[in-house]
Amino acid sequence: MVRLRVLAAEEDAPDRWEAQLRKGVLEMAALATLWNGRMYGLEIIRRLESKSQLALAEGTIYPILNRLKAEGMVTSEWVEAEAGHPRKYYALTKDGKRRLRQMAEAWAEFSSGVNSLLEPVLAGKESVR
Amino acid sequence: MIAEQRMEAYLSALRSHLDPMTLQEREEILREITAHIRDAQEEPGATLDKVLARLGTPEELAGQYRDGALIRRASRSYSPVVLLRGAMRLSTRGLSGIIVFFAGVIGYAVGGGFVLSAMLKPIFPGNTGVWVQDGKLVDFGTHFPAPPGAHEVLGNWYIVLTLIVGSMLLLGTMYLIRATLRVSKLAQMRLG
Repeated sequence: MVRLRVLAAEEDAPDRWEAQLRKGVLEMAALATLWNGRMYGLEIIRRLESKSQLALAEGTIYPILNRLKAEGMVTSEWVEAEAGHPRKYYALTKDGKRRLRQMAEAWAEFSSGVNSLLEPVLAGKESVR
Repeated sequence: MIAEQRMEAYLSALRSHLDPMTLQEREEILREITAHIRDAQEEPGATLDKVLARLGTPEELAGQYRDGALIRRASRSYSPVVLLRGAMRLSTRGLSGIIVFFAGVIGYAVGGGFVLSAMLKPIFPGNTGVWVQDGKLVDFGTHFPAPPGAHEVLGNWYIVLTLIVGSMLLLGTMYLIRATLRVSKLAQMRLG
């Protein structure tokens, strides 16, 4: 079992790496979708897809929202909708806003550093063409 | 009709895999996922099969909810059973989890042993204690018969000392596991 898993991991290592990366960013991205006001799950998913190519198994977002709520980063509220059934809306708490700002600052600093490191790599790829 | 049945089947599978969570948590999750399925089906080009496939299997979805909930609950719990279960879940994620799990088992066993020993002293006063012979420690605990030639030195202080050492071990073990679970929660926060 373990050997098989290791082999599989080596074969599709780049894909796995990308999946891990997406997963790592997802929590921050989900919080960010709520920056301008409350949203329900499906809206958050669609916003993530259209803004950031963070397409994932759609179910992934709901356990994350559940955890963020338990940690006091977001609140939720059921709201009656025209659709005929209520929807569960999420909104950032004060703690959630503070946490998101910290994450965004760390991300900006981190990614600008890595980007400058990657510049020659990406430039090299273009010069080969 | 048939689509409705497939949706019900998905939801009831999800419900059964969410078993360890509280009834309230479970119903809340099911209500939200039901609303998701209804709304997603309304989108252009959507079919129930596509919507369910994109949600992931009920097992996968429930597993993601359960992992978070168990570790979260355990990090606030005082119960050795809940704490050890949390540590066990953590041990599937890495070496430090395995170490903490075994340290937890040993900590609870030895700590519990000391407390048990304190309770045995009033029942078997002559056979429980710390025995010394010629200034050297011979044995401690409860023994039948008591070690010959040695004399017991602590008397009823034995109860006090074993209770102190035992409860310190039990408390230390509890805080060790809770602290580990909490740190792992923070790590999850940062790494996703």
